[in-house]
Amino acid sequence: MDDPIADLLTRCAAQDRAAFRALYSATSAKLMGVLLRMLKDRQEAEEALQEVYTRIWLRAQRFDPARGRGMTWAIAVARHLAIDRLRARPIQTEEAEYDQIADTTPRAESRLVALGEARQIVQCFDTLEPARAAALRGAYLDGLSYADLADRHDVPLNTMRTWLRRGLAALRDCMEGVRA
Amino acid sequence: MNGEDRDIAGEYVLGTLPHAERLAFAARLKSDPTLQVLVAEWEDRLAGLNAEYAESPAPDLFPAIEARLFPRPAQSRWQGWLGGLVTAAAVLLGAVVLPPLLAPVAPPVIAELGAPDAGLRFEAHYDGRDLILRRVAGAAPAASQSHELWIIAPDAAPVSLGLIGADPLRVAYPAPLAGWTLAVTLEPAGGAPQGIPTGPIVAAGQITL
Repeated sequence: MDDPIADLLTRCAAQDRAAFRALYSATSAKLMGVLLRMLKDRQEAEEALQEVYTRIWLRAQRFDPARGRGMTWAIAVARHLAIDRLRARPIQTEEAEYDQIADTTPRAESRLVALGEARQIVQCFDTLEPARAAALRGAYLDGLSYADLADRHDVPLNTMRTWLRRGLAALRDCMEGVRA
Repeated sequence: MNGEDRDIAGEYVLGTLPHAERLAFAARLKSDPTLQVLVAEWEDRLAGLNAEYAESPAPDLFPAIEARLFPRPAQSRWQGWLGGLVTAAAVLLGAVVLPPLLAPVAPPVIAELGAPDAGLRFEAHYDGRDLILRRVAGAAPAASQSHELWIIAPDAAPVSLGLIGADPLRVAYPAPLAGWTLAVTLEPAGGAPQGIPTGPIVAAGQITL
């Protein structure tokens, strides 16, 4: 499959600095979008972006094109770094931002539907109970913790954990069904 | 297939594992190929959500990123100054802490750059993680010039590995391949400006493993 980002990552693994520069040009706007949405602070997102590319360069040899697309891998590096930073913050809830993000969901969803790659997961999200689907999105896209989500949905923490674990299992079953 | 691990991998990718569990899982993940596959599967399943992240043009942080990864001696900006400070601190720390630990174990030589009787010679070592280049004969160039190390795959363009200063150059490298060439060129101070060698090759040799 044609995957120019994967090619650039493979060249980065061979210490090709020109490829690294091209990778920055091709992916930094997307990764900045990920970090801004999760960290909700521009200065921190810019710091984190530098760390993300440092990690990408140092870990590029772990990228395996057989296991997934280059952009998926790069976004995973950014998301995990943002989650590590969020979890290291003092505990606080971010209700205002969460409300704001919930409002954007329909628009985001229609954009999603236009993208073939994303269609399966949208179909599968539609099979979930809406509150659980919203909690899963809040966790993945905004990096909300169980505590944030339990607070937001006004359920005990363990209930939230059960929701999300069942939600993940249902998504997995659904996607395997769609692919089969 | 361990269903519990698959569930935890899902929570890890989702980002909801409580901090202590997350750290424990990340530690297991480093050396467990089965978990790595489970995580990659979840990353792939949930990747459709990535379309919801809006793009947001980033400022050009690339020079700062390069300065972090590839410190150069000639830098005027404060990042360079800060980098220099950090390097100096690391060298100082290294001087205090490392010699007793590292002195007895010299990593194997993988390439000799320059003929045995040449005035300027370098040796490349590899310790499984870093490639280390040290000058074993000859002198550093004049202050207006730098020695720059390049790695060259067969039929490919040279790729810079950095500048050789007073201390041996140490650069993280995944796995050097036999038959590839290491070469040192003479460049303007600070290195070849475009990332393409401009000066003469002063020493070169093939990697043998």
